[in-house]
Amino acid sequence: MRRLVLFAAFLSLFAPGGAAVADPPLDLPAYAGKVVVVDFWASWCVPCRRSFPWLNAMQAKYADEGLIIVGVNLDEERDAAEEFLREFPADFRVYFDDSKELAKEFGVVAMPSSYLLGRDGEVRERHYGFKVRQQAEYEARIVEALNSLE
Amino acid sequence: MRSFFLVAVFSFIGVLSGCSSMGVEAWERNVLAKDEMQLTTDAIEAATDDHIYFSKEASSGGRGFGGGGCGCN
Amino acid sequence: MSKKDMRSISATLAAATCTLLGTGAPQPVQAQEEPGWDFNTALLYYGEQDDRIQDLSVSVLTRKVFVDDRILSIGLTVYALTGASPNGALVQSVPQTFTKPSGKKTFTTAPGELPLDNTFRDSRVALSLDWQQPLGRLYAFNVGASASAEFDYLHVGVNAKLSRDFNNRNTTLSGGVAVAQDELDPVGGVPVGLTRMRNVDERTGRTRIESKDIFDVIFGVTQVVSKNFLVQLNYSYSDSSGYLSDPYKIVSVVDGTTGDAVPLPPADGPSHLNFYEHRPDSRVKHSLYAQGKYYMSGKVLDASYRYMTDDWEIDSHTIDIRLRWPVGERSYFEPHLRFYSQTAAEFYHLSLIDGDPLPGYASADYRLGDFDAITAGLKFGWKIGGSDEMHVRLEAYRQSGNLSRSQLIGNQADRDNYPDLNAIIFQFGYMFGK
Repeated sequence: MRRLVLFAAFLSLFAPGGAAVADPPLDLPAYAGKVVVVDFWASWCVPCRRSFPWLNAMQAKYADEGLIIVGVNLDEERDAAEEFLREFPADFRVYFDDSKELAKEFGVVAMPSSYLLGRDGEVRERHYGFKVRQQAEYEARIVEALNSLE
Repeated sequence: MRSFFLVAVFSFIGVLSGCSSMGVEAWERNVLAKDEMQLTTDAIEAATDDHIYFSKEASSGGRGFGGGGCGCN
Repeated sequence: MSKKDMRSISATLAAATCTLLGTGAPQPVQAQEEPGWDFNTALLYYGEQDDRIQDLSVSVLTRKVFVDDRILSIGLTVYALTGASPNGALVQSVPQTFTKPSGKKTFTTAPGELPLDNTFRDSRVALSLDWQQPLGRLYAFNVGASASAEFDYLHVGVNAKLSRDFNNRNTTLSGGVAVAQDELDPVGGVPVGLTRMRNVDERTGRTRIESKDIFDVIFGVTQVVSKNFLVQLNYSYSDSSGYLSDPYKIVSVVDGTTGDAVPLPPADGPSHLNFYEHRPDSRVKHSLYAQGKYYMSGKVLDASYRYMTDDWEIDSHTIDIRLRWPVGERSYFEPHLRFYSQTAAEFYHLSLIDGDPLPGYASADYRLGDFDAITAGLKFGWKIGGSDEMHVRLEAYRQSGNLSRSQLIGNQADRDNYPDLNAIIFQFGYMFGK
C-alpha cells in the first residue's frame, strides 16, 4: 500500500515544470522484495557529506543481497545538488524531489533523514541525522532487514 | 527594576506561545544554513566589540546563543 | 609598572566572562561543521584621540571539530596598551597637579587640558576554553572557562550553557550561567573611597588587594520565522559584588559659586582638592536583547536592540545594524551603524561642592555619565582558496556627553567638561582551516 502511495507521489516528478532528469524515474514497485534505504539529503546539509561515503559502502557491500539505496535530493536549486555530487559522488541512485512531495509523504522532519523499507515495502525504521557513532548499529538493522523475509 | 523583570518575563511568554506555529520544514533551511545567516558570524569580531564597548560604556553583553542554522543532525 | 585605567581593566576582564557567556563558541545546536581544525585570527588596532588609549591586540580562536558535532574551542588574545584615560578630575583654567597612583611622584596637567591618569605601556593576556557537545538529538551543552592576567589584575571564570530545540528545530531555548572572580592589586594599593588624594609618600590606610565576584545568568529563545528570517530574544541578569570602584579615579571638589577646583596649600602632592571615587559594593543589571537576521536575495541584514537597566540607575539603549552586501561570488561589503545612549549612574557627579556633606557614593568617571555614542564602520571581506576568508574593517566611534546647563556650576559653563571620546578601530582578520 505504502509503495503505491509513494509511486503516485513520485509521479508528480514528471508533471510539467519538473526538471528534466537524465536518470530513470523512481519506480518503487520495481523494488518489491528488495530492501530499500530512502535517504533525503541536500547540498547545504553538512552531515550529508559524511553520510555519502558510508551509503556508497553499504550499497557496494549489500547490493548482491538485494539492498537498494535511493538518495532523494531536496535542494531548491539543481545546480547546488549537482555541485555537491561532483565533490561527493554517489554510487547509488539519486532522485531530485523538486516538488517536495516525497519529503512530505515521508514526513521528513530533519536533515538528513533516512528510511529503511523492508522487503514488503513497509517502513521499518527512521533515522534522523547522521552520526558516525551510530553507523554500525544502522548497518546491523540493514542486515536484519535483508535477512528477514518481509 | 521589578517592572522591567515582569516585562521581560511576559515578552518571553508571548514569544514562546507564538513560536509553536512558526517556522519552516526541515528541507527549507538552505538559506538558514549559510554562514552569513548565523547569529554570530565572526566570534572574534563579536568578542572584540563586546570588549571595546564594555570598556568604554556602562553596559555589556546581552548577546546569546545558537539556534537557526541548517537544523541538521 | 602599570598605572592602568581600572575601569578598562575590570571591564575588559569581565568582558571575557560575558564573551564566554554566549559568544565564545557561538555555534548552533545542529551540525554545521565538518570535522577538522579551523582558525579565526585577527589583528586589532584601537586608538583614541590625543594622548589617550591606544591598544594593539592579536587574537587567535581555534576550534577542533570532532566527529558527531563535538567542538573544542581555544581562544587566546594578547594586548599591548599604551596611553592614558581621564582620571575624573575636571578641566581647569589653571595647571593642576596630582599624585601618581604609585604615590611616589606627581604629574601636572596644563590649563585647559583634560586631566589624564598617567598610564604606562602594559600588556594583558586572555585565554578562553570551551567544549560543546550534543546530548541526544535535541540538546546541546557547553562548558567553558576563562582567565586573564596582567600586571595588576587577575580574572578567572567558568561557565555552562544548555540548549534544546523544539518545533522541528524551529525554536531553540537556551540557558547559561557564568561565575567569575576578579582580583586587583593596583599600583600603590587601593585607596579608601571618598578620602582626599594623598600626598607623595603618604600612607593612608590603603589595602593591597581587592576582589569582586560576578554572577551572570542568561535565558534565550531563538526562533526561525521564515526561510529567510531568524530572530533571537535574550534576557540576562548580572550580579557583581565586592570592590567595584576604580582605584585610580578621583572626583574634583569645587567652590559652590565659581565651580573652580579648590586649591590646596603647596605640598608635594595634589594642587587642588579631590577625593578618590567610591562606588557601591554591589551592582545588579538586567538586560533584554533582541536580534534579527534577514536574508534578501544575497544580502543579509542583521539588526539588534538591547535595553539595560541596573540598580545604579543607569539605563541604556543600544541599536546595532549591519548589512552584508555581497560583491560577486567571493567578496562582500558590510556597512555597520551602532547607536548607544545611557543615563548617568545615580552617584555620578561631575564634581563635588566644597562644604557640602559627602554623598555615600560618588564617581566622576565619564563612563558612568549620561552620554550618547555612535559607531560607523565598513568591513570588506573576500574569500581565498576554497573556504578561507580575509577581511578588514575600519570603524569610527564617537561618544559625546549630555550635560545640561543646570548641572554646571559657575565657570564650568565656560569649559568643555565632559571628556568626549573619538576613537578609530581597525581590524584585519584571517579565517582559515577546515
